[in-house]
Amino acid sequence: MFGFLFKKQHQIETLIFNYIENFRKTQKLFSEAFTACRSNPFCSDFDFLTKQTHKYESHGDDIRDEINDLMYGKALLPESREDIMRLIESVDKILGHFETILHIIKEQQISIPDFIIPKIDELFTSSLESCDLMLEQVEALFSTQQGIRELVARIDLLESRCDHIERNLIRAVFASDLDLAQKIQAKEIILQIGDISDQVDRVSKRVNIIRMKRIV
Amino acid sequence: MFSLLGGIFLGWSLGANDASNVFGSAVTSRMLKFWTAAVLAAIFVLIGAIAEGQAGIETLKGLTQLNLQQAVVSSVAAAVTVTIMTVLGLPVSTSQAVVGALIGIGILNQQFNITGLGKIVGCWFGTPVGGLVIAIILYKVLGAFYNWLNLTMIQSDILIRCGLIVGGSYGAYALGANNVANVTAVYVGAGMLSIFTAALIGGLSIGFGIFTYSRKVMETVGSKLVRLDPFSALVVVLAEAVTVHIYTFVGVPVSTSQAVVGAVLGVGVVKGIKTVSTRTLANIAIGWFLTPLVATGIAIAIYFAIHLQYIPGL
Repeated sequence: MFGFLFKKQHQIETLIFNYIENFRKTQKLFSEAFTACRSNPFCSDFDFLTKQTHKYESHGDDIRDEINDLMYGKALLPESREDIMRLIESVDKILGHFETILHIIKEQQISIPDFIIPKIDELFTSSLESCDLMLEQVEALFSTQQGIRELVARIDLLESRCDHIERNLIRAVFASDLDLAQKIQAKEIILQIGDISDQVDRVSKRVNIIRMKRIV
Repeated sequence: MFSLLGGIFLGWSLGANDASNVFGSAVTSRMLKFWTAAVLAAIFVLIGAIAEGQAGIETLKGLTQLNLQQAVVSSVAAAVTVTIMTVLGLPVSTSQAVVGALIGIGILNQQFNITGLGKIVGCWFGTPVGGLVIAIILYKVLGAFYNWLNLTMIQSDILIRCGLIVGGSYGAYALGANNVANVTAVYVGAGMLSIFTAALIGGLSIGFGIFTYSRKVMETVGSKLVRLDPFSALVVVLAEAVTVHIYTFVGVPVSTSQAVVGAVLGVGVVKGIKTVSTRTLANIAIGWFLTPLVATGIAIAIYFAIHLQYIPGL
């Protein structure tokens, strides 16, 4: 009934959901690019998919800037402004990881060795699964408030699994016959993929703190 | 009209200083624009003064018999006391300064309403305690309701923002109703003004103080305040308003600053944290004792000064 009085607040809410939707699209493009070309950096779709990923990542930045502009136009309480700004900043770092991984593959012309591909896929799938859970959690923060704590536990579990796979992969790479340069390149890719779930875990804990702060 | 200047100055300084107690946290944290807060505060101070200012005016005018000159002396003495204490950096209550000045005049008149004074001093003790107890109750009750609502971040934000506007307006209403007596009660006692005119002039002068100087005070005081979370800030504003309003029914002008400190302490008790430093508490205690004493001394000194006579050849 009095919705018109809080137009800015509702705009922020809408923009946050737009940001989440944009994240999903970026994640999908990143996943397609990585899966299609992980063994062949010269594959035909790679350039297109990388550009598309970059396009959506930039669009995410635009939405973030728009949210900040609205918030600092005195739309929210200072504490909420800070919480939302830091939350989006930390979610944005994950999009940064997506782009970095694709750039490493493209610029260093890396082909991921066949013998680690099954484990890399497992690490990749678990990392993206944790991203899905994180998005669910952020949506819950701005809608139902339900299940936030349970999602923290599930994300934490996935993060531990990713750490375990990451360590095993690095061990396997350095125990292999690859030359040192290839080993270092493979390690860089493994660490970058592993960083996704680490960052997701940080975001998840931040969401939980934001929720806890609003319980009196 | 000229003799009213002391009261108008007191009202101006009250508005400039005490508006920060009702809208300070909302303005300094940029939850609310200063001008929106100032307009709301001025309007509600005036409404409060006219609607419920009578009881406090009756109490203060009944403390001692005053003629017009004594009314002006007590008013100026209170204003000078508030200025001195502010310069010294001590928290000052206008209510205590006015009552202190009236005690000075009462001593000179050798006529004073001890029962009325007892009631006032009792309420001075009760103000911070009232703020503390009401803040504890409000925090528990409103907190349970707030949790039950299970609001999203944005909804919670909207609710607290509205609460701060409504609570601040109520606080301004209580400020006008309770504190207008400090500004013009002495002139009613001297038979210069009717109660309605006194409430109107008092309310307008407090509003003038809010418009002209409260922004600066809010910015200074706001930066020195404890950083409270938005819900606690709302509880403090409401507790201060309810406390001051209760004393309006009792008919005793009290200090909004002391009610705020009590409320902040109350929030600290519920949350199990220290919200007010020992130094701040010590300063408040010093101000609490010194203000009425200094005002009494200044009122007597001014009275003697204006009665000095030059006797040639002596």
